Amino acid sequence: MLYTILVFSENKPGVLYRIADLFLRRRINIESLTVSEVGDNKLSRFTITVKAEGALVEKIVKQIYRIIEVVKVIDAVDSQLIFNEVALIKVSTNSPQKRKEVNEIVKLSGAKIIHFTKTDATISLAGNPEDIDSLKDVCSSYGVKEFVRSGRIALVKGMMADRKNVLSMAK
Amino acid sequence: MKPHISRSAARILSGSQILLETLISLDVDTIFGYPGGAIMPIYDALYDYSDRIRHILVRHEQGASHAAEGWARVRNKPGVCFATSGPGATNLVTGIADAMMDSIPLICITGQVSSHLLGSDAFQEVDVIGITTPITKWNCQVTRASDIAEAVAKAYHIAGTGRPGPVLIDITKDAQFEKVEYKPITKIHLPGYQPVLTANTRQIEIAAKLINEARRPLILAGHGVLISHASSELIRMSEIGSIPVAVTLHGLSSMPATHPNYVGWLGMHGNYAPNMLTNKADVICAIGMRFDDRVTGRLKDYAPHAKIIHIDIDPAELHKNVKTTVPIVADAKNALTALIPLINKVERIGWLGEFHAHYKIEYDTVIKNEIKPTSGKIKMAELMHALSSITDGDAVIVPDVGQHQMKTCRYYAFNQPDSLITSGGMGTMGFALPAAMGAQVASDRQVIAIIGDGCFQMTIQELGTIDQEKIPVKIMILNNNHLGMVRQWQELFFDKRYSFTHLHNPDFVTICKGYGIQAKRVEKRSDLKKSIQNMLSHKGPYVLEVVCEHFENVFPMIPTGASVDEVRLK
Repeated sequence: MLYTILVFSENKPGVLYRIADLFLRRRINIESLTVSEVGDNKLSRFTITVKAEGALVEKIVKQIYRIIEVVKVIDAVDSQLIFNEVALIKVSTNSPQKRKEVNEIVKLSGAKIIHFTKTDATISLAGNPEDIDSLKDVCSSYGVKEFVRSGRIALVKGMMADRKNVLSMAK
Repeated sequence: MKPHISRSAARILSGSQILLETLISLDVDTIFGYPGGAIMPIYDALYDYSDRIRHILVRHEQGASHAAEGWARVRNKPGVCFATSGPGATNLVTGIADAMMDSIPLICITGQVSSHLLGSDAFQEVDVIGITTPITKWNCQVTRASDIAEAVAKAYHIAGTGRPGPVLIDITKDAQFEKVEYKPITKIHLPGYQPVLTANTRQIEIAAKLINEARRPLILAGHGVLISHASSELIRMSEIGSIPVAVTLHGLSSMPATHPNYVGWLGMHGNYAPNMLTNKADVICAIGMRFDDRVTGRLKDYAPHAKIIHIDIDPAELHKNVKTTVPIVADAKNALTALIPLINKVERIGWLGEFHAHYKIEYDTVIKNEIKPTSGKIKMAELMHALSSITDGDAVIVPDVGQHQMKTCRYYAFNQPDSLITSGGMGTMGFALPAAMGAQVASDRQVIAIIGDGCFQMTIQELGTIDQEKIPVKIMILNNNHLGMVRQWQELFFDKRYSFTHLHNPDFVTICKGYGIQAKRVEKRSDLKKSIQNMLSHKGPYVLEVVCEHFENVFPMIPTGASVDEVRLK
């Protein structure tokens, strides 16, 4: 089962190391990881996705809580989340025909061309992983020169009951 | 030159002085350490503080970390050790890991190369933060003198509160030299660290109801009971409800062994009754313990009839190994204080009687022959039994790791709290000599180290520290010329293939005398008691080597992977 774990911590060096080590000790591979500073209170927000059993995730979540700098940990499955990834795809557009078709695909998929040269176009798409997979798939017939995708970022659907509490603690 | 001590004027101090001032402000009066290049500015400052801080120069940094552990266990507050960068820091590692496993508060200060050299593979540079991250409760590197006071204040708070543990501060050499204005820390901000001490009232009520309705309740007392000074509450609860109390390794001495409700020690080499009857209990109330695999045996068959109440200050321990009916996050004393008024006065004579009946089986098949042998060499059990009666169970006992440790835990009848200091979780051979040394520095009680011939040679050099500092610790070497526990397993599980477990030992008495420490060897049963009395009446440090039976085994035993009620008595 794929779990998404959201961790809020003081923005200090070493926290990522401690979190990563807890997964390492249980031999769980981190599928994706996104970290950034959020809010005025200088908290770091980690979004971690892992494939593991729920019971194990629950134990690791408690161990993440034990890290001194960590203020809050939330674990969730996809149905509880709104989530997104960003992908950049550099596609070959070395003929007018290709350029036209790629442009059409970009329009249909809700993506954007963010850079182009005589021979290629770089497409950016923010969306769920399946949309990104299918866009990449469609582009592959034109020749994908380079492809990169970010880790997941996610929000809990609806109200996060104790979110206010989290933020006030980190003043 | 003494540092300038005016309170009104701004005090310009070096980072090293700030470190020492902050430690003093936290009531630190003892440091175990070893100098070296990257910590020299701190040692230079220490020269001026010898009237306020006792620094004990160990012979190896592992000795410093274990000594600080022993000190911390006696004082119940953080022990402090210093080491230089590189090998000094890595030598601390075993003690830090040991403290992490056994929840012992430690503050480790390591010197580090100057900040401009960080990451350049400079001489004696090692990534001590990286190395100690998995084995510390918290660690940090400081590169500016102005950050030292806050780091130390945080470290002290984190190490000693909640579930205690080791912390490490790595201070670069330039930060030790740098001079800044010293501002004492009055407040620390740790938004993510707020240990829960008070039990949830509703959970306590549910727990009380379960206990009151139980016919066969059993209390399992662990280290947490001692850390929170909850021995009297433990005894009170047991007496009201007539509830038998079994203890874990680190829970030993939380209840006097002579108390009628005390039913013994749990786990692999523990007592027969509490292990067998765990699986008959209908309610288990586990306090400040973590259901270690040496306690539970095969998990799927552990306590099949019991509803489990688990009280622990660390939420990560709840449901970690054993599924709990009533999890309670709280300090043990706090939870017991809330629980006691709700416990009904009940007599459970029949249930306690079952423990006594099982004890009789253990006594007749194992204990009697162990403590009263009539032939052969001295047995470890008779020695511990004799030591226990001579000291009235009042000494602080520091066993090392192996057969002698198990025999100590089985046969020393602990009479007052905080009387056993040993390496439980890590099983660190070589722990006892430095830990006993640290404990004796901290304690007015008699500290006695119980050490095997294998363990002794792992940290033997601390005899030098003991002699130099005139630490009046008593040391008993239980010499069976073997790595006894491994040899026992080879006998039982590896077809008696004694692969590299025999030790050809040096003359320990001569070695001790070489270090300037009084030492005697005893071989005859008839001389044993007199030898122990001579050791105890000696004023300074003393080593008594006891030549023991070579092929002894520790029984009862729950083999690895067996259930707690599959106890082998022989």
